[in-house]
Amino acid sequence: MSASEWVAVALLIAGCFFYLAGTIGLLRFGDVHSRLHALTKADNLGLMLVCAALAMLSANWRTAALLVLVWLLGLLAATVSAHLIARHARRGGD
Amino acid sequence: MGKRFISNRQRLVWIGQTFLVLAVIWLTLNGLDGWWLGLLAASVGAVTGGLLASGRPYPWRPHRLAGFAVFFLFESFKGGMDVAWRALKPKMPIAPEFRHYPLDLPEGQPRTLMVSVISLLPGTLSADLSDDGQELVVHTLMPEAMDSVNRLDRRIRHLFSLELPESGEE
Repeated sequence: MSASEWVAVALLIAGCFFYLAGTIGLLRFGDVHSRLHALTKADNLGLMLVCAALAMLSANWRTAALLVLVWLLGLLAATVSAHLIARHARRGGD
Repeated sequence: MGKRFISNRQRLVWIGQTFLVLAVIWLTLNGLDGWWLGLLAASVGAVTGGLLASGRPYPWRPHRLAGFAVFFLFESFKGGMDVAWRALKPKMPIAPEFRHYPLDLPEGQPRTLMVSVISLLPGTLSADLSDDGQELVVHTLMPEAMDSVNRLDRRIRHLFSLELPESGEE
């Protein structure tokens, strides 16, 4: 394996670690709002690392740009849905 | 405060910016295949967005956007590390509470950016926005998390060339 492949594998493993940590946070934290913290922030970082790893493996600018776009759209979806769920929970929905 | 009216010229600027963003997204996803369909989709999206926009577009500078992107990358990285560490630690060191933050950023892009980015900074989550948009409820995981909200506020003012509030709050 080349050096860049090793770096990509390390990034993939780190990304999966943050997804795992986010899920553990979701299970361990006690209330809706704290759980949202774990989901949005840890998963954002996980997605960032996985996208970076895949961009390195593809070694292609178009694919790399596509992965950046995937990450940005993922961020947007995460932050908007977190805000909506948090507001709903705070205003007394169930 | 109330409703801020937006002039036709500002609406055009808004439509232009939205069109550019949508066109770039289309190009990235599809390349030049069927470019005319992309052109059509981006135009329809931009015009619809421009007609629905309530706030006026704010001028921003590309090099400041780059600075903001670096700030965001760094802070969201810290945010992910922080919450992962808190979730994994056996003692789970979190002290969740709600804080009220007076929001005096103008309606439109600055305020939307603020509300969206807060949830990705270390320990903060935007939980609610009052109906007049003047107060933001922030859910924090630890007391010191509000510092990053103040820093984000200053960064957004810098990005959109807005004045700082007179008294430097500490």
